[in-house]
Amino acid sequence: MNADAYMNKGCEGRLPAMAPLANPYVPFQLDAPPRYEPRRALVRGTLYPGLDLPFMGMVNQQEQPVTAKTELQTVAFMIQELALYLDTHPDDKEALELYRNYQKMYHKGMMEYNESSPLKHTMPTKGDKYRWLDDPWPWEYAANKEG
Amino acid sequence: MFVYDKKLQYPVKIARPNPRLASVIISQYGGPDGELGASMRYLSQRYSMPFDDQKGLLTDIGTEELGHLEMVAAIIHQLTRNLKEKDIENTPLEQYFVDHTAGVFPAAASGFPWTAASMQVKGDPIADLTEDLAAEQKARVTYDNILRLSDDPDVNDVIKFLREREIVHFQRFGESLQQLRQKLNQKNVYCMNPAFDM
Repeated sequence: MNADAYMNKGCEGRLPAMAPLANPYVPFQLDAPPRYEPRRALVRGTLYPGLDLPFMGMVNQQEQPVTAKTELQTVAFMIQELALYLDTHPDDKEALELYRNYQKMYHKGMMEYNESSPLKHTMPTKGDKYRWLDDPWPWEYAANKEG
Repeated sequence: MFVYDKKLQYPVKIARPNPRLASVIISQYGGPDGELGASMRYLSQRYSMPFDDQKGLLTDIGTEELGHLEMVAAIIHQLTRNLKEKDIENTPLEQYFVDHTAGVFPAAASGFPWTAASMQVKGDPIADLTEDLAAEQKARVTYDNILRLSDDPDVNDVIKFLREREIVHFQRFGESLQQLRQKLNQKNVYCMNPAFDM
């Protein structure tokens, strides 16, 4: 998509020129939309500036501190956001390529992270100890205070 | 099947407990427009979708909503940690406390327990996706209202994230509805129920 087409936020969707009556329409997001950098996307809650529509100007300015966990959360978020986009834009090759790159990054990051803190029962673990039960659990303050 | 991933979708780190805020945010756990209803709505609606686009999107968004349910629970849990009786007395959390102590129970802020009556599976894909558009809007407004009532930056950081997800989901449901219609009779998309009559 031509960058000029995105000059004005609010013009990033396509509606049919003519449409049958009695149907609601949400403008279709154009292919290859502009994107935030991954860490910014995470705190904004979307990869796409065109969909970033805050309430009363309340915006997360501060990115999450860089830790192994927030790294993984960032990459997982990119995959989720691209997956929802691809669910309705399966022919966008650029998005598909990005999605695949993040899948590779996630796989690598997940294997490393899992060595110290198990993420899933199905992932291989090492050492002489069963570590699945180890505190803190994800919902606890202690699990999040470093980021 | 579902497999537990031992991490949150987005960090929840709330430095200061706050029973008043917990008493309103609980609505996004078990209230009429909360994350429990959202996940159950989408994960249940997917079975009667006739085409793969909608089966996939409802599965992906419904699964993400389960992650949001866990995040909202994490907010409630952290806002109510290490509280003593005197911290709860004369706060709006009193009524909740008498029934649930500092446990996380799916109820609306008004105290009404979660009910499947706040969601629907109509078994007609156009009707169900149109409900989903409304559901995302109602959840967004609930998060708007939480932002009005909260001045805790740790809480608001997470609420802003969750609120924005509602907008993204609304967009995708709208696109999916259009994709669905394109596969139906263009002269009259209501000529039958594609989940039942095709």
